[in-house]
Amino acid sequence: MTTHYVLQAEDVAIHYGGVKALDGVALTLEKGQIRGLIGPNGAGKSTVIDAITGRRRLTRGRVLLDGEDVTALGAVERRRRGLSRSFQRTSIFAGMAVRRQVELASHRMGVADSGADADAVLEELDLARLSHMVAEDLGYGEQRRLDLALALVGRPKLLMLDEPMAGLSVKESHDLARHLKALTSRWEVSVLLVEHDMDVVFGISDAVTVFELGRVIASGDPASVRADARVREAYLGSAA
Amino acid sequence: MLTINLFNGLVYGALLIIMSSGLALIYGLRRVVNFAHGALYMLGAYIGFTVAMHSNFWVALLAAPLAMAMVGVLLDRYGLRLLQDREPLNVMLVTFGLLLILEDLVAFVWGKGNHSLFTPGLLNFSVSVFGESLPAYRIGVIVVGAAVALGLTLWLRFSRIGLFVRAASTDPVTTSMQGVNTDTLSAGVVGLGAALAGLAGVVAAPFLSLSPHMSSDVLIDSFVVVVIGGLGSLAGAFVAALLLGMMQAIGAVYLPQVSVLLPFLFMIAVLVWKPSGLAGSRT
Amino acid sequence: MSLSRIGFLALLALLGGALVMGLTQSASLLGMFTQAVIYAIFALGVGVLLRQNGLVSFGHALFFGAAGYGMGVALTLQWMPAELALLAVLAAISAGAFLIGLVIVRVPGIAFGMLTLAIGQMAYLLASRARGLTGGADGMGIPWPDTLFGVPQATLLQPATLFMLAWALMVAVTCALLWLLGTRFGAVTEAIRDNEERARFIGIKTTVPRALVYALSAVVTGIAGLLSALNTGFVSPESLHWSASAITLLMVVVGGFKRATGPIVGAIVYFLFKDLLGEWATHSMALFGAALIAVIVFSPDGITGALARLRQRLRHGPLKKGSQP
Repeated sequence: MTTHYVLQAEDVAIHYGGVKALDGVALTLEKGQIRGLIGPNGAGKSTVIDAITGRRRLTRGRVLLDGEDVTALGAVERRRRGLSRSFQRTSIFAGMAVRRQVELASHRMGVADSGADADAVLEELDLARLSHMVAEDLGYGEQRRLDLALALVGRPKLLMLDEPMAGLSVKESHDLARHLKALTSRWEVSVLLVEHDMDVVFGISDAVTVFELGRVIASGDPASVRADARVREAYLGSAA
Repeated sequence: MLTINLFNGLVYGALLIIMSSGLALIYGLRRVVNFAHGALYMLGAYIGFTVAMHSNFWVALLAAPLAMAMVGVLLDRYGLRLLQDREPLNVMLVTFGLLLILEDLVAFVWGKGNHSLFTPGLLNFSVSVFGESLPAYRIGVIVVGAAVALGLTLWLRFSRIGLFVRAASTDPVTTSMQGVNTDTLSAGVVGLGAALAGLAGVVAAPFLSLSPHMSSDVLIDSFVVVVIGGLGSLAGAFVAALLLGMMQAIGAVYLPQVSVLLPFLFMIAVLVWKPSGLAGSRT
Repeated sequence: MSLSRIGFLALLALLGGALVMGLTQSASLLGMFTQAVIYAIFALGVGVLLRQNGLVSFGHALFFGAAGYGMGVALTLQWMPAELALLAVLAAISAGAFLIGLVIVRVPGIAFGMLTLAIGQMAYLLASRARGLTGGADGMGIPWPDTLFGVPQATLLQPATLFMLAWALMVAVTCALLWLLGTRFGAVTEAIRDNEERARFIGIKTTVPRALVYALSAVVTGIAGLLSALNTGFVSPESLHWSASAITLLMVVVGGFKRATGPIVGAIVYFLFKDLLGEWATHSMALFGAALIAVIVFSPDGITGALARLRQRLRHGPLKKGSQP
């Protein structure tokens, strides 16, 4: 029995001007799975999200969503097919009220009852009580969650998260991790999680992939990745 | 007929070079489109006028830019520096407010009538070029324009301070982290830019009359030049200034009805094709 | 804002206007009020562009003057009855602005401002030189017919009538804008304004909505231009000059562009200022310059912004970033 993959990246490469940002990367995601993506800075983690979501063009390789080859499609098209992402630098609509922008995003995704969808997402991320506040008046952690909310409208099948915990306090990080875990099981969203916080990654991931210099150097369940000698040497340090 | 028009085109182009280089420098360092530049030009002309009335043109040529340099330093220290974290749009509007104030100041001190400054005696003759008689003073303006263009290019390219200026224009944060005092640098550059405006004013005074409205006409053309050339790019501004001068000259001969529109049509065409201008990379 | 609330405020505003009209005995004072209201509408146009698109126009006088010239030409050449001409001029302005908008809204920030300045100045220079049809630098008189929509000229040109007409239009335009900006179209343009890349990522095509806002802002300013043409019976190149654009921009900034009523407040302040200046009037531009600087330094949201913050503070205590526990 072959596993049905919600996401497949095959031999993905992005080369430009002599730089090999990604050099033959292969990744898979199963339904409802959380895959952590770790690696040193500059290893290509953000780039692979850009590649999968269609923000950057591939030099080589394919991206498949639910078996469909979407390599030729643009970012918006892929979003409409359920491939969503959040951004490393908070990317929200500063001058708009919270609920208004989430509802707009939902409507734009083609959701019939965008108001209900927006309320559900805001509720899920504990932002409902801030619905009428203008985004720029929110605290940093709340803004990060709003960024996530914008990515979650329309019940995407896949969520690419680019360092969602960046800048959050320990408590906020763990709260967010909890939200994510609950979300993925409740809504059956598959998540690719790029993060530096090792506790979080190894805490909630079902599988982990390790990057270095644009390549995958290890992949598998958290425990075996953690124990992998190459990974320990390259990244975690033997104290891990 | 054509020669003299081309010549006048070069003269105006030279003037625009002097004006727009100041604008470009200030934009490059402070990311501000300085509306007050027109007022600095006008102040330079009027101060030059008064100084020339009491001594001579050559003293004025020195005094006015110096005076404007001081104004520029004050503008940077007490205006642009304090507002550097504000939206660029807001700072632009502040410089616009400054323009209004300075325009009124000039009218208050010197009156609303027109004034003329006579061509300095030393240059009050004509040179014969291609059978046309060209005023030596205007040739002098072209020389000054060329000198400014050359001087600035060489200075920025080869001097140490020029290097800092280029670095600070590209990346102010890193540059200051490297130990370059970007505040002093900015004050200096804005002072220089203002001095250039003042120089343009004095230089223009003998062949354009002085009036409280002189700031707006030159200012708009200078904006057109800087935007076409690419905000922050000196080379782009030089090219655009000459092109504009030429365009108006040729237009005046062959398309007199439409010639005034040419700069704007050119600007629209360039911006629509390349929003960052001919040479600009930042907007 | 809900439709009923808008309607209620509109009614209050109209009553207020009627009160002002009734209480003002001096015809010249009423005339000055009318001028202020016309400029308030002009400023509303500039303001909506800034508010919804985040774009500053230094050349909106183009639409103000074009409306006047459009009417002048249409009536002089007797192309159509005046009532129809009014609509035709507004339609032409909106179509023209939409097309221009499609091209120029893609140009970012400062370059956009400079472009609008250039386009506006071009119109000014064209009008100054075209002696034949438009009277060149002297301007042209507008031959309004004896009756307009059945109302005889004598009645229409009464100071009181003109004032109420202008006031009513101002209220109508404000209400229309308030309603429109609460719709999804308003949300779309705000999203584009705040974060163009993310807006595109959620599936918004960013050019057409902004061009539509530009066209809308042009029509609003055009309405002011038509009113002005009726008020003075005359149009000149001065109404196309960039200084007219600059003054309305001043009004928008001083009043505050984030609230719909900001430009109106700005216009009122401008005219009050001008009137109260008395012998200082020759220095009016310098004082406005100083006011502009003061507003931007101390309260970039303008007067209405400052008032809103004051109200917030009185109601909720000092505003803290982040939610209250």
